[in-house]
Amino acid sequence: MIYQKMAIPPRSEHLWRYTPWPRIHPSSTDEVPEVDDVTFSLSTEHELESISHSATTHEDIARAFLQSAGGSNNRLIISEESEPIHIDARASGHVAVGHLHLDVKASCVVLIHLIGEPEWVGIHITGKVHPNVQFSFGFINELDSNTKFLRCEDWIVERDAELEHATLSIGGFRCKSDLRSTLNGTGSTIRQSVTANAVGPRHDDEHVEIHHLHGHTNSDLVMNSACSGSSHFIATGLLTIAEGANKTDASQVFRNLLLSEKARAEAIPELEVLADDVSAAHGAATAPVDKNQMHYLMSRGLSPDESQSLIVSGFLLNAFSNLSNKYLTEEMKTRLTVHLECELKR
Amino acid sequence: MSDETQEIIGDYRYGFHDPENSTIRFDKGLSEQVVRDISELKDEPEWMTEIRVKAFRHFTERVMPEWGNCDLLNMIDFENITYFLRSSDQTEKSWDDVPDDIKNTFDRLGIPEAEQKWLGGVTAQYESEAVYHSIREDLEEQGVIFLDMDSGLKQYPELVKKYFGTVIPHSDNKFSALNTAVWSGGSFLYIPKGVSVEMPVQAYFRINAKNMGQFERTLIIADEGSTVHYVEGCTAPSYSTDSLHSAVVELIAMEGAKIRYSTVQNWSSNVYNLVTKRAVAHKNATVEWVDGNIGSKLTMKYPSVLLKGEGAHAEVISVAYAGKGQHQDTGAKVHHLASNTTSNILSKSISKDGGRSSYRGLLQVTPKSTGCRSKVVCDALILDGGSRSDTYPTMEIGNSTSDLEHEASVSKVSSDQLFYLMSRGFTEDEAMGLIVNGFFEPFTRELPMEYAVELNKLLELEMEGSIG
Repeated sequence: MIYQKMAIPPRSEHLWRYTPWPRIHPSSTDEVPEVDDVTFSLSTEHELESISHSATTHEDIARAFLQSAGGSNNRLIISEESEPIHIDARASGHVAVGHLHLDVKASCVVLIHLIGEPEWVGIHITGKVHPNVQFSFGFINELDSNTKFLRCEDWIVERDAELEHATLSIGGFRCKSDLRSTLNGTGSTIRQSVTANAVGPRHDDEHVEIHHLHGHTNSDLVMNSACSGSSHFIATGLLTIAEGANKTDASQVFRNLLLSEKARAEAIPELEVLADDVSAAHGAATAPVDKNQMHYLMSRGLSPDESQSLIVSGFLLNAFSNLSNKYLTEEMKTRLTVHLECELKR
Repeated sequence: MSDETQEIIGDYRYGFHDPENSTIRFDKGLSEQVVRDISELKDEPEWMTEIRVKAFRHFTERVMPEWGNCDLLNMIDFENITYFLRSSDQTEKSWDDVPDDIKNTFDRLGIPEAEQKWLGGVTAQYESEAVYHSIREDLEEQGVIFLDMDSGLKQYPELVKKYFGTVIPHSDNKFSALNTAVWSGGSFLYIPKGVSVEMPVQAYFRINAKNMGQFERTLIIADEGSTVHYVEGCTAPSYSTDSLHSAVVELIAMEGAKIRYSTVQNWSSNVYNLVTKRAVAHKNATVEWVDGNIGSKLTMKYPSVLLKGEGAHAEVISVAYAGKGQHQDTGAKVHHLASNTTSNILSKSISKDGGRSSYRGLLQVTPKSTGCRSKVVCDALILDGGSRSDTYPTMEIGNSTSDLEHEASVSKVSSDQLFYLMSRGFTEDEAMGLIVNGFFEPFTRELPMEYAVELNKLLELEMEGSIG
């Protein structure tokens, strides 16, 4: 559907309950502003192919808006195994939008690092992981603390393929992510982790959907957030298992650590199961920092801030424990550790 | 009995119906005049008529819920429902005085026998109004008021006016508006300060007529330091056309009071069961919802507790069984509005023969409610292909001093457990029945013994032929 003809989604939809569309839109909801490109530059010799915007229409308002807005549109085809690919995504101007399609035909690691200081940034990433391919993908959001950020992703994982997907969300003032994956073939697997450090007045809304269309598919989602200041973290998940998708194993775990009186966290892990021979589970927990752990660390000579930072670090790093690709895990952990150390020094 | 009706009834043992002998029956359909007529017929005070009319206007203006099973919800034909049907001219105090056909129904349901053995009081509602009501003398002497709601309004208008609609206002949702507009029957229970009602009091709701709407209104007030256990049972005959049960239940637990509200709802599979149940728990009060949902076409019921006073506690244990053509959309909501409040929610569901069970819950801790603790556990079993189980939990945490956990799992019956029981000589059906009864055991152990036995029997019936 064309964006201008779409109705604003009601807040009764969980996806828009805590970050309604008008709050994430760059201006007035009936407008599609002029945008600058988000530029992507690669660390390897792979070539980014610039492609024209397709006429595909989206039912989802965020995707339809990003399509209407335009911006850069690139495709990366990975047809041979290669060293890890680092992509620097740089946003500039007032409002910036970028589209990237990844066609993954060979096993590899891709890491996107998003930086910039525009008032508003929108990114739409789509990807297809071909049969038998093991693909690891990391996304680091390190935008300026005054930037509004909208991110949509759509992944298709084919037969016997594996997608490892890691997100580190530490930038932006108000962020809305809508990450959807479809396990489209028998034996396909997705392991996904989302780590967010919400500081100050930051608002971070992370929505993850995983759809099991076939049997013998696996998914494992872990979302960890630490919220301080007057920040607000929202984790919503939708895990669906289609009729006949037997022998599916799916789990999602949401954990929130609340560090200040005004910090808030919401967790909505949803399950829709239409097959009978499956194992599906979810868990959610929200709690303050354990006083015993604080006491233990402080009795070893650490200051209260250092103790808390160490606990937060351990908690957030743990979100990557379900990933098996060492390179991806180490990169994400390093970036998080640097970020937390900078936060401690402020 | 037509083949169509027989097909709907299946194993449903309460699917029988009696010839309809109503003394007053309104025409089908809903209008402001119907609402005013119900109020006039009951000779209600003007303030109640005004509330009814206001609620009716809200009902007509409010759209149907845009969430849940909208396909089934939108099939409700509000113009094809009878909103008031009186079966007996008065509420009797002795079973001997209840009209024979109605008494036979309750005899078949075992209510008079249960009353003699283990109940402190009984209200039996048939269609729109109570036909029988009694309370043990010793409770009456202690000041316990247990009446059907219509009598409660007549005899204690000030008490009813003070609390009616304070927990669930008519504007809460479309079906609470409908109930407030056309309510009839239900229970009014008041427990004075410090009184402990040791034997449960029970209400039994029976729909007999076709295309009937039952809209009972229950208000329970437990004054400071009192305790009460209220038990509610529901059945209806099986027809090929649909009936609507839309109740509103308001509980108020004052400081240090304890209310346990147990329900075993076993409507036939042609009944829409759209119920709003909510409680307020003041300082150090406890409210427990023990909620069993076996029948109905579509149930939407989320017992809620507003923990308003410091130290208040909520406990919700619910089970749902969704069989062929059924959708059990149930759950629980707990709002931690005061500090150091605690809650536990345990939900279990089984889906079989294409049935769908959904858990929909909300756990909210407001920013000023410090030191709250809560645990939510949802377990679901799917017994065959084509059945469905959903979980839609919401946790909204507004401060950093609270500790909340949620866990849920969906699985099938373990083949190891089946194998173990069958190696001990049980048939597959028996083994499956045992496992399912065990799965529901945390719920049944909270019920009075007679109800627990009955529920186990019902489940065994439902589980027959579940293998292969």
